[in-house]
Amino acid sequence: MEPEEISSHILNKLLKAGADDVIVSVSKQESSQIKFSNNLINATKTWENIDLGVFMALKKKIVLTNIKELSLSAADDVVNKLLKFVKSASPNKEYAGIAKGPFSYKEVENGYDKKIASLGDNSIDYVEKAINKALESGAKRTAGVFENSLTNVSLLTSNDVKTSDKGTHSYFSIRAFNNKFASGQKTGFSRIINLLDVEKLAEEAALISKQSLNPEHGKFGKFDVVFETLPFANIIDNFGGAMSAFSVETGLSCLKNMIGKQVANKKITVIDDGTLKNGFNSSKFDAEGAPTQRNIMVDNGILKTYLHNTSTAKRFNTKTTANAGLLSPEPTNLIVKKGNFSKQELFEQVKNGLYITNVWYTRFQNYNTGDFSTIPRDGIFMIKNGKIGQPIKGVRITENILNLLKNTVALGNKPERVIGWEVETPIITPAVLVKDVNITRPVD
Amino acid sequence: MFNDLADFAVKYALKKGADYSEARLESTTSNRFILKNGIAEASGFDKINGLGIRIIKNKTLGFTSTNNLDKEKIKKLIQNTINTTEKASKLREEINLSEENSYKDKYEVKQKINLNDIGPEEKIKLLFDAEKELINTKIKIPSRYLSLSDSTTIEYLTNSEGTNILATVPRVSFFYLLTVEHDGKTSQRIWQYGQSGGFEFVKKWDIPSIVVNEVRALQNNLKFGVKPPKQALDIVAAPQVVGIMVHESGGHPYEADRIIGREGAQAGESFITKEMLGTRIGNKVVNVVDDPLLENSYGFYKYDNEGVKARRKYLIKEGIINEFLQNRKTAYYMGLKSNGSSRSVNYDRESIVRMSNTFMLPGDYTEEELIKDVKLGIYMKNFMEWNIDDKRINQKYVGAESYLIKNGEIKEPVIRPVIEITTPQLYEAIDAVATNMEYHAGSCGKGEPMQAIPVWFGGPSIRLRKIRLGN
Repeated sequence: MEPEEISSHILNKLLKAGADDVIVSVSKQESSQIKFSNNLINATKTWENIDLGVFMALKKKIVLTNIKELSLSAADDVVNKLLKFVKSASPNKEYAGIAKGPFSYKEVENGYDKKIASLGDNSIDYVEKAINKALESGAKRTAGVFENSLTNVSLLTSNDVKTSDKGTHSYFSIRAFNNKFASGQKTGFSRIINLLDVEKLAEEAALISKQSLNPEHGKFGKFDVVFETLPFANIIDNFGGAMSAFSVETGLSCLKNMIGKQVANKKITVIDDGTLKNGFNSSKFDAEGAPTQRNIMVDNGILKTYLHNTSTAKRFNTKTTANAGLLSPEPTNLIVKKGNFSKQELFEQVKNGLYITNVWYTRFQNYNTGDFSTIPRDGIFMIKNGKIGQPIKGVRITENILNLLKNTVALGNKPERVIGWEVETPIITPAVLVKDVNITRPVD
Repeated sequence: MFNDLADFAVKYALKKGADYSEARLESTTSNRFILKNGIAEASGFDKINGLGIRIIKNKTLGFTSTNNLDKEKIKKLIQNTINTTEKASKLREEINLSEENSYKDKYEVKQKINLNDIGPEEKIKLLFDAEKELINTKIKIPSRYLSLSDSTTIEYLTNSEGTNILATVPRVSFFYLLTVEHDGKTSQRIWQYGQSGGFEFVKKWDIPSIVVNEVRALQNNLKFGVKPPKQALDIVAAPQVVGIMVHESGGHPYEADRIIGREGAQAGESFITKEMLGTRIGNKVVNVVDDPLLENSYGFYKYDNEGVKARRKYLIKEGIINEFLQNRKTAYYMGLKSNGSSRSVNYDRESIVRMSNTFMLPGDYTEEELIKDVKLGIYMKNFMEWNIDDKRINQKYVGAESYLIKNGEIKEPVIRPVIEITTPQLYEAIDAVATNMEYHAGSCGKGEPMQAIPVWFGGPSIRLRKIRLGN
């Protein structure tokens, strides 16, 4: 039985049983990964998965399910269990419905690549080239992953949405080492494989690893910091999470009551774009079937809106931004608008500061205030009078995210496309210069 | 369950030329309930049925998984995996597995109150009861997020060496995020409870008391908290804090795959090397173990996901680096036997080296005795923000519920004391360990794609001497 038939079977049965809103999604994914470390392939992996997701609202009682099975009997089981479950569920008084179709959709530009769909074990050749490039460029060891996938999603709702989308995705991450304390990491993604230059990423990671040999212990204090694209993407990913109306409601956001207010330096504009050409998370529609949009989230430092689905938007007296997430609206692709400075010009504005090429383990002390810390890893360098100098280690950024964004005074002119182990949202950002960043370290 | 499909997959892979094959069939059903600011946000249930297969051919490792449990589909995936390992063999890490006994066994974590006998209504009512108690405190709590989940996993593991293990593990967990406001200032706590077993544990936790105690402590800290002293002082860290410390810097750096470099691009490597086995890392009162066999623990298993019998591992013994967490591959590489530390979170993830329940062993003192011998110090009951670098040296723990200790007595609350310290500094500073054991639940992250796996971390209260707090 085709996914569409199973979807309408479930939809019809639930509507007949009294459901007010129903969304049925079927996602089929074939994906692969080559995992490598110490310059060798550790494992080749492939996945084939089918996911059936059903959302039902009946008298404002919300029940969701996700099962990894696609058959008529599984569909009937799901319907029976949903109806049994909903009987004892409590109503969500704040629920305000789902998007009303029909809609017309636009295909995502550069969202599908035949070459990725039929890549198979040719992915091994890309990994081999990248490892060789890193070694040629001065790395001693490399580790990383190369992932490729083909996804088909079909969506059917009780509000006149019947649509589908297919897409391909390619993601590469490489960490190059010169020794245990000298490393560099770069990541990249694309929906079109020829637009992903794994060798360039490998070369850049290798160069950072080579430059970061013999680090000294860093000092604590306030420093002007040039953030490379990967660590700034980590911060923007967390900022994007705070933009979700769900985060605002649950206390996971420092942006509560901040619409129309200054939340970042006036040089910062952040756009969430679900329609982005070759965007990793671009799609024709969101989880309710609303056509994706380009939303200006922060305009010259001013917060313009939260990320919404239909229900959260009604609670905030606004319109959906087409970022459903059925419970929690989520960012799609976040773009930090580029500035005018070359990286060299960013360095030149720093007398005594740091150049940070990666961070990890970002944790909030209080999401509500935005107080957090994160740990630089891989190459960290002193900047003295505009020039990159001594590598350092052993430091931590202990900051407030709003403060850090207000102090972001200059943006680079070369955006990069970042996604990674700790950067879940695809981020497109240039390197940036942030003034007076609080650096801490263990006391001697 | 379709155990015959797993048996078939193992045999078919051998027929197609694999030197070793292993199949893991998983069936998981789960339920979850969310209460947000007093409103039933949603309820849900999920179901997973799938098969994961590992193949070694010419010392090359291939993994494949599907939830389309169809024989022809499985045949095709196995053939593709064999072909891919052949192509990868030019650049492969040589995979050898340590020799281990093969077991045929069946085990189940018993439930006194079966999860299926408790309807959704009763489960969500527990959250509503907690909400009511929170409101009754009259404390200003602008955000209240409570969630209750349960799951039952049945997994069948078989391999070409004769392993057949059938395991049934039910689990329950409760998660909360609470924001308390006082005089325009806020404080937050996120915490989780988790065990393997039936609904009896959810009842035992007493969810309303947990959350009420939490908001009272947060408010007390906001209302009466003083800034921590600047001079060097002693710290008595309670079990929650000890648990996270031990997990981060006494567990992760002992994972053999990190030591070898396999996690390099993800969760990172380790400051520990093979050569450091037998060398001192801390005071002789420090003993850290990882033990999957703790009954009703969140990280419980009797056999790991390679079929190796689980046992307690002494990672730090009397302050000496004693043992690493090993799977069959890392054990062979180090010339050892596996100690049963291979886990995968679901059928669609390869099993990798993981912790289970990692904790510090109890010492000889009562917590009161630790406190009594402190002139000026901090009692850190629990924490909020924490992190550690990817080699597991530079770590930070920010106290949530914390108090000053003056002349052996607990005094007023302290606002956000920060321990920012290196691993050797931390384990050397521990001079006394108490007897009050506690275990806490968490989801440990590792691997790519991410595998957030259930673990316990814990220990007794400990005393750290002469620590200068961070900013």
